[in-house]
Amino acid sequence: MRENKRKNKINRLDKVLEMPKEIISNEPKITILGFNQMLIENYKGILEYQEFYIRLNTYIGIININGFNLNLSEMTTDDILITGKIESVDFESIEDEE
Amino acid sequence: MYIKILLNYILGYVNIIVEGFFTERFINICMSKNIFLFNIKRDKSSIIYANVGIHDFKNVIQIAKQTKCKVKIKKKSGLPFIFNRYRKRKIFVGALAIIICVVIYLSNFIWNIEIEGIDKIDSNELMQTINNEGLTIGKLKSKVDLKNIINKIRLDRQDIAWIGIDLKGTNAIVKVVPADSKPDIIKEDEYCNIISNKDACIIKVNAQNGTPQVKEGDIVKSGTPLIAGWMEGKYTGTRYVHAEGTIEAKVWYTHKTRVLYKQTEKTRTGNQEKKYTINFNNFEINLYKKLSNFENYDTIREQKKLKLFSNLYLPVGLTISNNYEVVNNDITYNQNEAKEIGINKSKEELDKNLQDKENLLNTYINTYQSDEYVDVEVIYEVKETIGTKEKIVF
Repeated sequence: MRENKRKNKINRLDKVLEMPKEIISNEPKITILGFNQMLIENYKGILEYQEFYIRLNTYIGIININGFNLNLSEMTTDDILITGKIESVDFESIEDEE
Repeated sequence: MYIKILLNYILGYVNIIVEGFFTERFINICMSKNIFLFNIKRDKSSIIYANVGIHDFKNVIQIAKQTKCKVKIKKKSGLPFIFNRYRKRKIFVGALAIIICVVIYLSNFIWNIEIEGIDKIDSNELMQTINNEGLTIGKLKSKVDLKNIINKIRLDRQDIAWIGIDLKGTNAIVKVVPADSKPDIIKEDEYCNIISNKDACIIKVNAQNGTPQVKEGDIVKSGTPLIAGWMEGKYTGTRYVHAEGTIEAKVWYTHKTRVLYKQTEKTRTGNQEKKYTINFNNFEINLYKKLSNFENYDTIREQKKLKLFSNLYLPVGLTISNNYEVVNNDITYNQNEAKEIGINKSKEELDKNLQDKENLLNTYINTYQSDEYVDVEVIYEVKETIGTKEKIVF
């Protein structure tokens, strides 16, 4: 509960200062350009990497990407660029115990 | 992101194959240790290809050992490896260094002099004076005292109003502004005559001040006084004045041409060959045999100087000689045709100097015929105002 209050405070401050949400929180920012490129910022790690399937761990859940010839063309500690034919993206969010 | 890849290219990177069952773990550990992997590709279930910078490669091997993966280098790329490949070719590197040194050394000299703004001034003559003052092709730039040269030329030559020399690269650009030559102005209160400056036949004399010395219809040579700068009065005696007036006169301009009946005319057949010559300052190397395949030909030479960028001339040049094959055709004119050609030629020549066609009074054409040629003389009779003022010297 206490943590929740703190989060609310931060949220309020963030609204006042008009800060981008992806910087304040740990939520991932997903940008899909066309059907062939996908940029994910704020991720935690790679759980699985196959040519046709990528499973990424983030702070709020797991991102599954299905496709063909998927490459991790650029990778740094906080963002990752996936290129290749992307077919579908789905999310598994971790349930917060409130 | 692209900057990072570019940096890796400059510092060198390796394309590695990682084989093992825990490749995801391998990637995650690399990431957490801040190792930049790029262009990761998956092949089958247990192999990944990735690019790593060479400074991170040692860490990558350690991580691979931890995760029980095998690492192989597939390809090395980047600038350090390219240099490494050429390191054994010492002569190539040496020659490259020598060429760079030579270019730097040669760029300290002046290799080209351009003169701009010459319409009235003879460029060869100007070049001669510039050369005499110390600005010559092949001289060290630092040894040329531009200010001195400019000052000297400006003092020496009356027909140059302004001269500037600009050193750009190995190119010296000389800019010249020619001065308009002014006639000697004689002041109103000084005594002067008006004398003829051309051979002419007087039409009209209009003396405003002074005594006219010529009548209508007189034929004068250049130098004859037209209006004298004195007046004679019954009581005052001879009184000197500043002569003033206008004199209209007929002036003749002639031009002669000789037209041969038999002429050879050159026509180009369209065949052409090019011959190249490399020249180092004055030393020439012919790349082809000098003799042409054609029997009769015109040669047009084209000179090109080697230059880096726009103004860095080098003392190496290429001369292209274009040889055009020509055929000589013999043409025989009859008398009338030859006359016509001669008249047209002369008229063209005279028209160049004629300022106003309205002043043209008469044209006379004289022809002298002989067995081989016709001489044509065209005379233009032009109405002009003549006379210049000349100071009376006592």
